[in-house]
Amino acid sequence: MPLGSIDFAFCFLLATLGIFAPFVLMASQAKKIRVFAIALIVASNIIGCFVAALCFWRQSVVFVDVSRFTPFPFTLGIDRLSALFLLLICTVAVPVTIFSASYVDDHYGQRRQNWIWAFLSLFLVSMILVVTASTGFAFLIGWELMTLLSAGLVLLEGDSPEHRHNVFLYLLMMHAGAAAVIGSFLLFLPYSHTLDFASIRATSGVVPAGIRMLVFSLAFLGFGTKAGLIPLHIWLPRAHPIAPSPVSALMSGVMLKTAVYGFVRFVFDFLSGGPWWSGYVVLLVAAVTGLLGILYALAENDLKRLLAYSSVENVGIIFLGLGTSMIFLAHSAPVWAGLALAGALLHAFNHAMFKSLLFLGSGAISKATQTVDLEELGGLQSRMPVTGATMLVACCSIAGLPLFNGFVSEWVIFRSLLAGAVLIGTKAQVILPLMVGILALIGGLAAACFVKVFGVAFLGRPRSEAAEQAQEVPLAMRAGMSLLAAACIVIGVFPGLFLRPLVSLLQVFVPGAGVPPETLSIAHIIPITAAIVLGVTIAVAFVKRRERVVRTWACGQPGLTSRMQYTATVFSKPIRFVFSSVYRPNRKIDRLPSDQAYFPVSVTYRSVRTTSYEKAIYRPIAEIVLSAANQLRRMQTGNIQVYLLYIFLTLVLLLAFLRFQQ
Amino acid sequence: MGLVAFATGKILSSFSVFLFLTILLLVVSRRFSTSVMLFSVQSAIIAAEAFATGFRERLAAAYVVAALIVLIKVIAIPCAFFGLANHLKTSSDMKASTTPTQSVFIAAAMIYLSYAAVQSYGLSVHVPDDALAAPVALILTGAFLMVSRNKALMQMLGLLVLENGIFLAALTTTFGMPLIIEIGVFFDILIGLLLMGIFAFRIRDTFDHLDVSKLRRLRG
Amino acid sequence: MKTAINIIQALLLILGAPLVRGIVARCKAFLQRRQGASIFRPYSDLAKLFRKEDLLPPTASIVFRFVPFLLFGTTICVAAFVPLVQPSALLASRGDFFLFVYLLAMGRFFLSLGGFDGGSAFGGMGASREALISSLAEAPFLLSFVALAILASHADIAGIVSWTQQQNIFNISAVHMLAFTSLAMVVIAETGRMPVDNPTTHLELTMIHEGMVLEYSGPRLALIEWASAVKLHSMLALLVALFFPWGMASSLSVGGIFLALPLYGAKVSVLMVLLAVIESGMAKLRMYLVPDFLGVASAVSALAVIFTMLDKR
Repeated sequence: MPLGSIDFAFCFLLATLGIFAPFVLMASQAKKIRVFAIALIVASNIIGCFVAALCFWRQSVVFVDVSRFTPFPFTLGIDRLSALFLLLICTVAVPVTIFSASYVDDHYGQRRQNWIWAFLSLFLVSMILVVTASTGFAFLIGWELMTLLSAGLVLLEGDSPEHRHNVFLYLLMMHAGAAAVIGSFLLFLPYSHTLDFASIRATSGVVPAGIRMLVFSLAFLGFGTKAGLIPLHIWLPRAHPIAPSPVSALMSGVMLKTAVYGFVRFVFDFLSGGPWWSGYVVLLVAAVTGLLGILYALAENDLKRLLAYSSVENVGIIFLGLGTSMIFLAHSAPVWAGLALAGALLHAFNHAMFKSLLFLGSGAISKATQTVDLEELGGLQSRMPVTGATMLVACCSIAGLPLFNGFVSEWVIFRSLLAGAVLIGTKAQVILPLMVGILALIGGLAAACFVKVFGVAFLGRPRSEAAEQAQEVPLAMRAGMSLLAAACIVIGVFPGLFLRPLVSLLQVFVPGAGVPPETLSIAHIIPITAAIVLGVTIAVAFVKRRERVVRTWACGQPGLTSRMQYTATVFSKPIRFVFSSVYRPNRKIDRLPSDQAYFPVSVTYRSVRTTSYEKAIYRPIAEIVLSAANQLRRMQTGNIQVYLLYIFLTLVLLLAFLRFQQ
Repeated sequence: MGLVAFATGKILSSFSVFLFLTILLLVVSRRFSTSVMLFSVQSAIIAAEAFATGFRERLAAAYVVAALIVLIKVIAIPCAFFGLANHLKTSSDMKASTTPTQSVFIAAAMIYLSYAAVQSYGLSVHVPDDALAAPVALILTGAFLMVSRNKALMQMLGLLVLENGIFLAALTTTFGMPLIIEIGVFFDILIGLLLMGIFAFRIRDTFDHLDVSKLRRLRG
Repeated sequence: MKTAINIIQALLLILGAPLVRGIVARCKAFLQRRQGASIFRPYSDLAKLFRKEDLLPPTASIVFRFVPFLLFGTTICVAAFVPLVQPSALLASRGDFFLFVYLLAMGRFFLSLGGFDGGSAFGGMGASREALISSLAEAPFLLSFVALAILASHADIAGIVSWTQQQNIFNISAVHMLAFTSLAMVVIAETGRMPVDNPTTHLELTMIHEGMVLEYSGPRLALIEWASAVKLHSMLALLVALFFPWGMASSLSVGGIFLALPLYGAKVSVLMVLLAVIESGMAKLRMYLVPDFLGVASAVSALAVIFTMLDKR
């Protein structure tokens, strides 16, 4: 098959990331060669961005078939959906690689560095494989590689028993999810005879309704585990915080989106919408995920765990958009289905941007202060101005504030929920507008959470020695973060550039999609609003006035110390109090010595969240599995004669079977 | 006369909206005096509706009924309640077993339920949907008030709200019951209230409070 | 011509905001049997603050320094969304009420950050309480808009206003009554008025909005106070426009506009007196009762949405 130049560019990307870069980085220690290899990674990712952009905007098609060299059909192809996700991967990979160039080299020993770089570029290849796969085998190979490589990267960060336990849980849940995905692929096999995406798409019409239901359920379970929907999310807050920060950025920002890609591919492309009730199920699970995710995030003080839970919340918002789209499809309203799907995909893209930025920022903080505990930070804005500015952009984006990219995708989802009122006569007519309230609550809580993050970590006085000595991070790290921040602002201020192509290009999956242009008229208003806000802000800032720095009044006390500030725990206390039925806190106060109630030497207060998915759901399942395994163990007697008896019995059964066949 | 006709037309078409508002405010009110004022406003709205029905259908009986409602439910009974509360000297703040938020959501669910229940009924009786849903919602609200409030006085009020609902249902579907039955019903209410008032005094004198949740101590 | 009127509308909202504050304060004083200050007092307050020196705490970073400017900028923008004398506004577009709500949220976000930067405990306290109130107030705010938008089949504020103008004033719809109740409760919570927050308190432990701005002084404080007044005026104008728009000039005639202006003044005066009565008549709610208050607002607005399906009047 003749390779066009765009196919060649794509293969170059894969080869560099997959073979060349890891080899060079493992083999050579020379500084110049390593810098060259890293630059090559960045360059190939930029080329990948161009390839994806061409496929997305100009509808070029890439097709790479290496089935001659592999025992199973292995084809890679880029259509518009794949192009969007490829763009996502490569766009996030560039700043993360630039950031890692400085972070990895400073943080880890020599041998570990090599392994981390090798695994990192192979990890990128595996994700690209997943989104560009055109056969089931290629997809599943990429899927498994993603899991193994990310687990390896997490283990490279640390090797303690707790680390290993968390990685074990991560691998367990990922494999359970992969089993569900493999199952849903295999269900197509009797009808399409190969696992080629094109043939699955062609023959999906003949698949009976019962099998379609099963396919949807397995796909939802499998991809939901990977994406982190509640209650399948328990691996997320264990695995993401313990990885190295650039890897956390890739895992949270990009790997979760491959699950979204898989779900969209299965439901919108193969099944063309799923059963009529599927949209409502997805909507309900997504609403619960979003709300519980942000509530758990509000209760956290460890920055990386907080960001992990916030990823759960954003996955909930993405699936909210997907569920809305499925409901519209089921009721034959393709115009609004296209808009809802565009909102969900745009939110996936935006989340990749700002979540990666947040994790990179946490990496910068941990490099400067050796801690990510919010209670130990403070006052970092004046010590780390660039980190602070980029983290502020990220916090504003994730809170969904206008002029940043989070608002654009949330606006699209809000608008499509509002449009649910046109489905007169169905339950959706009232359920979809009411979901606006739930999404507004999620957005309000997210804003509160990130006021806490930025306010406690960057503003006020430093709460520890380490925070006081913090210094700005090196240039490479700053450059990586600034690139992502710039992307957030550009998408936020000029949403029309991305919204219109996205909505019109979804006609491939949702025939008839394409909203009238006035619906997106807000895309004109946002740049004007940005101009007004910025204009007024700058105009007022430059009015002449006298300024003086004066000590804060401390109500007559000698001076304000950092201990007199509001901490992260107490900031979230009102919200935790209002939602205490979600947290079910278990509080213990210990006074020492216990007989002197009024003159204690020390008082310890512990508040532990006790809603436990492990106790309620996973432990019973684990016990059932273990007891079943124990039952089966009875077959293993260790007696050789019993094993020979098994063989003899199998032979007898076979003969009897053959006899009755005739 | 044209103005009166216009006014009655408007009353007939939008009274249910105001009734729903009084229902919502009743379930969140925390003070006894507020609840009694809301009950009196509710009865005034029903009296206006009875008056409008009488004007529209030209039934003299309906005018008498409207006057009776104003006398008894808008003026006499609330005054009796205020007097009772003053004499009993109980605290004015009421504890409810549900928070205001939960109460309003339950009230919203009840209103939705009453609409769903009368959906098919309205067509056969030639009456608009909300004119039938409002009485059902009032009945449910009266029951809810009796269940969720702890003070004996509030339970009396809940019973009266329920009776309001039944009366309104009869009014809208039959355009006024025969006068004799109306008067009989009002007399029954008066006697019932008198008895309840006497019992309230007895309960307060024996137990020193009117909190019905403490009745549980009586069980063996 | 239309754009010119829209710009004048926005300017009226911005420049008339301290007057609104002054009138509400004067009504409250009258109800409390005091003489009260002149209704133009807020203007002289602003002028005084602009002349003063700007004092900054030692922990102030660039965020603290820029928060008042950014807050003022976003609130100016918010004023450009509200129709005043004609059913159109400067920044009107489909789905613009989401932008309206979130621009206000942006102002509050930055104000909370500014509260943290002062370095004292009161700023954090104000920020924490404001976080609670604002996160719970967004749902009823948006749901009320959604109910009105479904009823009017228009997704923009100006469209809802022109649809309502064409309805008969005496056709009281349940959706409108419920949406008005819910939106009025949200306005009280968002602008920090009694019974949610006391704007004239001197006790730091009872402050929510005042706590966050405790460390600001001089021109920065003037901008914050002005922005807060603009917010109050915009939200009152929004209530008037969405629920009582009769009298607005539906055609571009100079006479119509000159008639609409005093009508608007009369309508917003009624709302101001109502606000003063509510503020003087109710005690401030304990902070943990405010979620109940906002929960009732959410339930009422959810009911309004449900009612759009039941009767589309």
